[in-house]
Amino acid sequence: MTRGLHAVCLAALAFFMLVPLPAFSQDNRIVVGSKNFMESKLLAEIFAQLIEARTDLAVERRLGLAGTQVCFEALRTGAIDLYPEYTGTGLVSILRQPPTGDSRTALNVVRAEFLKRWDLWWLTPLGFENAYALAVPRSRTDDFPLRTISDLVKIAPSLTGGFGYEFINRPDGLPGLETRYGLTFQRVQAMQQALKYQAAAAGEIDVLDVYTTDGRLAVYDFVLLEDDRQFFPPYEASGLIRGSTLAEHPELGLILGLLANAFDAKTMRELNYRLQEGGESPEVVARDALSALHLLTGDAAGNQPVPHREGLFAYAWSKRTTLMRRTIEHLSLAGLALGLGILLAVPLGLLLERHQTVAETVIRGIGLTQTIPSIALLAFMIPVFGIGMLPAVIALWIYSLFPIVRNTYSGLRDAAPQAVEAARALGMTEWQILHWVRLPLAAPVIMAGVRTAGVITVGTTTLAAFIGAGGLGVPIVAGLQMANTTVILSGALPSAALALMIDGFLGKVETWVRPRGV
Amino acid sequence: MNPSVLSIRGVSKEFISGVRVLDRVDLEVVEEETLVLIGESGSGKTTLLRMFNGLTHPSSGEVCIHDEPVRVKDPIDLRRHVGYVQQDAGLLPHWTVEENVGLVPLLLGWEPERRTNQVQTLLDLVHLDPERFRARYPIELSSGQRQRVAFARALAADPAIVLLDEPFGALDAITRHELQRQFLSLKERLKKTMVMVTHDVDEALRLGDRIAVLKDGRLLQIGTAPDLLNAPAHDYIVQLLRHRSHGDHS
Repeated sequence: MTRGLHAVCLAALAFFMLVPLPAFSQDNRIVVGSKNFMESKLLAEIFAQLIEARTDLAVERRLGLAGTQVCFEALRTGAIDLYPEYTGTGLVSILRQPPTGDSRTALNVVRAEFLKRWDLWWLTPLGFENAYALAVPRSRTDDFPLRTISDLVKIAPSLTGGFGYEFINRPDGLPGLETRYGLTFQRVQAMQQALKYQAAAAGEIDVLDVYTTDGRLAVYDFVLLEDDRQFFPPYEASGLIRGSTLAEHPELGLILGLLANAFDAKTMRELNYRLQEGGESPEVVARDALSALHLLTGDAAGNQPVPHREGLFAYAWSKRTTLMRRTIEHLSLAGLALGLGILLAVPLGLLLERHQTVAETVIRGIGLTQTIPSIALLAFMIPVFGIGMLPAVIALWIYSLFPIVRNTYSGLRDAAPQAVEAARALGMTEWQILHWVRLPLAAPVIMAGVRTAGVITVGTTTLAAFIGAGGLGVPIVAGLQMANTTVILSGALPSAALALMIDGFLGKVETWVRPRGV
Repeated sequence: MNPSVLSIRGVSKEFISGVRVLDRVDLEVVEEETLVLIGESGSGKTTLLRMFNGLTHPSSGEVCIHDEPVRVKDPIDLRRHVGYVQQDAGLLPHWTVEENVGLVPLLLGWEPERRTNQVQTLLDLVHLDPERFRARYPIELSSGQRQRVAFARALAADPAIVLLDEPFGALDAITRHELQRQFLSLKERLKKTMVMVTHDVDEALRLGDRIAVLKDGRLLQIGTAPDLLNAPAHDYIVQLLRHRSHGDHS
């Protein structure tokens, strides 16, 4: 009767033991991180390939971490050794200082403060700024010539601004800009970065925020307004590296120093264009950029062209090794989280059935975790658990708890009350009632909870990409940035297929644990 | 007169909500008799029954088995030695007929062979062909067959006392009549001490050696069927007896 349930527990346990634990960084390994936008990935890839070409160190890539906070916490806690960062971001977002100062002041302030507070080093800047700028489609300037932001102030009350979410909230973005220039728009529309350009070209918005090295500026005919009151802080691109890593591998300072002043804004715009519009991968573009600087050693310079804009199946086939690895990562993350979820939630459900007075309160509390947006939950994980597999599994595990606890508790509580009453009246102990009556009768309901949790977990695991845990979310996030449906689908379709498979498999288990006679 | 097996002395029961369901009840059940507790819902009859195997305890007063208070007995051991039948059979839906009937012997640690033999004997006793029925699940039985299995289960470890909570209550009239007839013949053969709860006055008169009438937690009268019919102690009992159908009660 309970044989089925025992087998399921054993299978879960075996799976849990077989899943590889996250690899922790070793001495001869440099972990390079990046944020989740193309230029950051490109710069990280340039760092990584340069280190690989000029040292014996192995490089592990943790590209596409979700934003400044994630990257910086990862670096501070030693989960990564190095990532590309901008001086302005260091000053405003990390140090929370007012957005003022010219580029030299900004660099010196962040250098001194980062060294003092965290022993983190800013490399010599790479030679370009990726600062904010306001842009207006050239067609809009026909009847009112615009050159500077001060010019814009006069007509802004009749214009619609389309800005990124970050820009709207950052002190060195829209709020500061409004104060410094006295700028007010008729309407401000929050928009995703990739959509703003199209919206501007279509005349939906009149003004947008751009990054000065954005590749799309090469194709869209936009006027970049001069920041005549020097409001936008300098965003010089640089590398941010741990002091302990430099102490261990001093040669890294020298090697990465080769990139000092190596790129200007125009070069970066062209490189970004190849990534954003050309659909090329950061590996290829980084290799070309390093080759052009003659920084790669002989054989590393040769590259094979990566096909793009091909059919979904051809693309997926060309990426099959990577996709297979991503699928395994995905399943490991989801399986581990679900296994741990079962290990906690089922006993908790059993316990709550014995303490029904507090049960609803506890379950409602666990239910609240479902309302935390997943990206926020991941962000909470980083200060405590760093990045990679551990925080991802913990976050997914938290999401898996609710359906299992809820179903275990309800299943046990509502299991055949007459049979439970008879069992008690004939002298079964409470333990025997649980073991022989409640648990077998509740097993299908418990499995239904596990099944729900399984499908939720497989879906949510796509977000693990944001904290460098891999999985099928990696191609989805990359594809979203490149606005490349093929790449998105190469992650989304296997992920959906996995969810269906898990649902089908757990549905089978559900039938299998259903005792005969019920 | 036979010696007293079960006794209720000055028993009252109040729930936490303050509702009083039993009010200073005294009664004795003597060896080998069938005492029927009759009353409408809320009269306290089921609460009283459940005190005999420790499923409920009185707020005041004493419940004794062979002059030993139920309160001091190990409730698990007590229940394994007192048969119990409830209205809807209460069979474990995921256990076969054989497993259900063998439940108490299993709890008592009988050898499998002895259990199998006992199941066979009991299924014969309740007129269910062991070969046909032992491997069936409750869902594959009619309600009358399920109730027979419940009887067999209650008798499986040969308890001296059997408690029955409206055992025929959920059956259709024909099945109920047939099972009552078989119950009477079993009663003659097995000589158990039994307490049965019912709200059916015909059933009470037909099956009970003595009948105890409960109303609003008070015991109004206890006596044989002729006692009640000839000398009802209360207007309520007169009314109650008026409700019987004019049939073949004896």
